[in-house]
Amino acid sequence: MGLDMAKYRRIFLEEAADHLAEISRAMLDLEKEMASVEAIDTIFRMAHSIKSMAASLGYDPVADLSHRMEDRMEGVRSAGRVRDPAELALLFRSLEALEAMVAAVSDEQDLLPADEALLAELAAESPADTIEPDPVGGEPKKARS
Amino acid sequence: MARVLIADDASFMRQMIREIIEPEGHEVVGEATNGIEAVDLYKELQPDLVTMDIVMPKRSGIDAVKTILAETPTACVVMCSALGQETLVMEALQAGARDFIVKPFKPDSVIATLKKVLEKADD
Repeated sequence: MGLDMAKYRRIFLEEAADHLAEISRAMLDLEKEMASVEAIDTIFRMAHSIKSMAASLGYDPVADLSHRMEDRMEGVRSAGRVRDPAELALLFRSLEALEAMVAAVSDEQDLLPADEALLAELAAESPADTIEPDPVGGEPKKARS
Repeated sequence: MARVLIADDASFMRQMIREIIEPEGHEVVGEATNGIEAVDLYKELQPDLVTMDIVMPKRSGIDAVKTILAETPTACVVMCSALGQETLVMEALQAGARDFIVKPFKPDSVIATLKKVLEKADD
């Protein structure tokens, strides 16, 4: 059976615009409170939703980037907070890249692959994840290589 | 044919499931946009089958399926998952969900899964 993909493209553009606005609002909240559970959960869910829609329509670069954002936010959710301003800045850059991709879909331009450096940065372990306090005190040590 | 409740926070996904299953003769009796609505609408509508997204606001699909099955152990719930959610899918299946469908949805696969689940439910 065939689905009316033009219709789903329209719905994608409407929902993605709403989701990107919600992500933007949530990131501004995170700027004020890096442990905002609601903001962290919102960004996770919105990235997840954009990923699913994009994958359904074959917008692979959008799906790839939103997938990495979702994974990163899962880590943030587990940690209970955004680590530092650098991690927040990474999330803002990801949002900008995602907005540009959705704009390209809207303008019916060719979608370029997601920026490999940005994808790698999103996937990289954060420095805080690689350091854990020495249980008996003293200097922190490397937890994982 | 079955009376189906669709639970997903994304209108995109709800419409896609509706468009896949209605031509097969299934009736979509309700749409829930979060886990709380899913539980409430299940009680109200008593559908033959629920398609339940995992990631939803207010209450996750995992919580919702556990609540529905605690009250109605015979409920037919099919989880909607994405790649990378294998652990959550396993948790839902262990809680009593009947099966799962994976996003992006492949119409033939969705239809086949629902058919299989409904046939087993009739046994």
